[in-house]
Amino acid sequence: MSDAAARALDDAFLAIVADWTRGGAGCDEARFDECARAAFAYQRERNAPYARFAAALGFDARRAPRTWREIPAVPAAAFKDATLATFDATRAELEFHTSGTTADRAGRHYVERAALYDAALLAGFDRFMLPDRPSLRFLNLVPNPRLRPHSSLGYMMGHVAVLRGDGKAAYFLDDDAVDASAFARALGAACAEARPVCVAGTAFAFVALLDALEAAGTRFAAPPGSRVMETGGFKGRSRVVERAELYARLEAALGIAQEAIVAEYGMTELVSQYYDAPASRTAATRVKVAPPWLRTLVVDDAGCEVPDGSEGYLRHVDLGNRSSVVAVQTEDRGYRSGDGIVLLGRAADAPARGCSLDAEDLAASRA
Amino acid sequence: MSAASAALPARRIVDALADAAERWRDADFPARVRATRGLVARTGYTEPVVDFALDRLFESLTREALAVTIAGELGSVEALDGFVARTGRPDVFYRGVARAAIVSSDTTIGVALPALAFALCAKARVAVKERDDGLVAAFAATLAEERPELGQRIETGTWPAESAELRARLARADTVVAFGRDATLADVRAVLAPNARFVPFGHRTSAGYVTREALADESLVRAAARGAARDALLYDGDGCLSLHALFVERGGALDVAAFARAVAAACDEAAIEFPAGYAELDAATAAYRRRALFRAAQGEGFVHAGAVAPHLLVLDPPRDEPPPLLRRTLALYAVDEPRDAAAFLRAHALPLEAVALAPGAAGTRDDVVRFASESGAARLCELGRLQAPPLAAEHGSAERILPFVRAIYRA
Repeated sequence: MSDAAARALDDAFLAIVADWTRGGAGCDEARFDECARAAFAYQRERNAPYARFAAALGFDARRAPRTWREIPAVPAAAFKDATLATFDATRAELEFHTSGTTADRAGRHYVERAALYDAALLAGFDRFMLPDRPSLRFLNLVPNPRLRPHSSLGYMMGHVAVLRGDGKAAYFLDDDAVDASAFARALGAACAEARPVCVAGTAFAFVALLDALEAAGTRFAAPPGSRVMETGGFKGRSRVVERAELYARLEAALGIAQEAIVAEYGMTELVSQYYDAPASRTAATRVKVAPPWLRTLVVDDAGCEVPDGSEGYLRHVDLGNRSSVVAVQTEDRGYRSGDGIVLLGRAADAPARGCSLDAEDLAASRA
Repeated sequence: MSAASAALPARRIVDALADAAERWRDADFPARVRATRGLVARTGYTEPVVDFALDRLFESLTREALAVTIAGELGSVEALDGFVARTGRPDVFYRGVARAAIVSSDTTIGVALPALAFALCAKARVAVKERDDGLVAAFAATLAEERPELGQRIETGTWPAESAELRARLARADTVVAFGRDATLADVRAVLAPNARFVPFGHRTSAGYVTREALADESLVRAAARGAARDALLYDGDGCLSLHALFVERGGALDVAAFARAVAAACDEAAIEFPAGYAELDAATAAYRRRALFRAAQGEGFVHAGAVAPHLLVLDPPRDEPPPLLRRTLALYAVDEPRDAAAFLRAHALPLEAVALAPGAAGTRDDVVRFASESGAARLCELGRLQAPPLAAEHGSAERILPFVRAIYRA
């Protein structure tokens, strides 16, 4: 398959993004199915490790998936074991590494064209995090992308801070600590300027921040329009705080109502992200929704789809992953709810990994 | 300690224990039948597995094994009854502690019973926190039928970990033997009297090593493969004696991949003899299998999952990750020499209980025995024997009866 094929796939993807951004449906089942199977066919020819895996599962040049639901899903951990790219990875415009402990190899996700990543990222962020205003001030408790260029979370927040920020974005997660004092000064300044903020961070980083703010007796009333983007969860780490407790503490410390706290769910291995559905942000159970180019199957241990409402493992099919692997099998558990999913967390005993490791590693190093 | 039980000579206690165990060796013994049902319900293991465990347990509790172990550690059984002479050393009397306590493990079957037996031989009163299968209480009842005064010295209960009842018993014990996770052991240790003896058995695992000499012919290969399969699948891979990592030397008549296939076939056979307690791979193992399948598709290693039973065998998983300590899962690592295995174990700081070697002389080359001895393991044995430790040996490097006695010498 020629580069023209890649361009055609990218154009189709960007058209879906553009359609959705303009308020259209983006893609229906048939369009998604066509794009997903085309992406798989392309990847099977260009991505040798994926092709070998697919062949082991019975999908080769003679047998193609009949629908997108049949596309072989690579386990997320396989990004540690092979270079899953449809191109020479040295030409990657973006390279993201999974977080991991020092004893653990990082998985690597190579993205051939940053434009695809950026388009998917911005469209989703605008729709779910920023539907009501053009910009915010970003106070980030995520890795600084200049210092951690391979952090997908850092890249994500860096990118939206540049394009949707007020030019005063700042990072408070250094190599060795959550800098709560600097954060407090920055939020205090935003309050004084009545400038609404977006505080983005991992759940574990928020706990470290809240511990420090509460110990100092510091509380804020963030300007109206402020919001929190929480991501990463705890993923089996040593200190786990219930989400309800975390949100209550965030509301109390930052003065940002719980319905303005939005959980984002993404993976280094995916280009696209899920967010809490706006309608569920005041509900006891939050439902996550994705842009139309990211669809998720809920499967059992054997990889078979489970009925709607039944718990299982999340298998993502992301059309944005044109240059890597279109279908990724996770160990995250959840269930379908309407047009979205309810995320239940990581399967017990699965090796702990995820964005929150960044912050916990820091916390551990401070101990 | 009642006067009657204190007056009972240690050899009579050994006799009573052996006689009670003899009755439990009968699979149709009503108390055993009831305990088997309880154990199946608690552990989730299948009946053949529970039967195997009870057979091994009660076959080991013999008069000879008890006496030989006591004599081996104390010089004689009679040293538990009064002063005995020792060559070149002062006379000694190993007086039992007044109270002992035993905290059972949740994944093993009857692990408290050997400790109970030796504590009784030491004439201690013993409190056993057991699991809700009632095995210890049932054996105590049989023992009471043999010697009522022994039954009176045993107290069993399923006291919750944080309960005042358990903490009180632990606090007044002179010796405490406990099995469990590190956190559990730390909790137990925290409530003990300052001068109490504490014998902890934390979570550990076991490994194996197959030399190239053990791959020289078909019968040797079959023996090693069968042994490895049995050691990996018994008790669904739970417990410190389950085999999780098997190092196999390159350069044998049979290559490592072929040996892996032999182990896979042996696992399928062992799964018939010892069926799994569950029908499908658990979530973590299923996820591990998916990744192993991906690696195998890249030509890295080999993966075999049981067709009708949930077990998983993986050849050459990533070396920079610890072996998968998952249920019914065995990882095989191709190595050139024992030094490779030692480096792997060192890199992952694996706490080893035992190292199993291929049966016969072919498996016990000097450098392999040296590696196994230096691995931190408390026991070396043949593959296939991991799950049947002898009573007469130390348990986890700890003596059997010495923790329950205090030496008094006369000079």
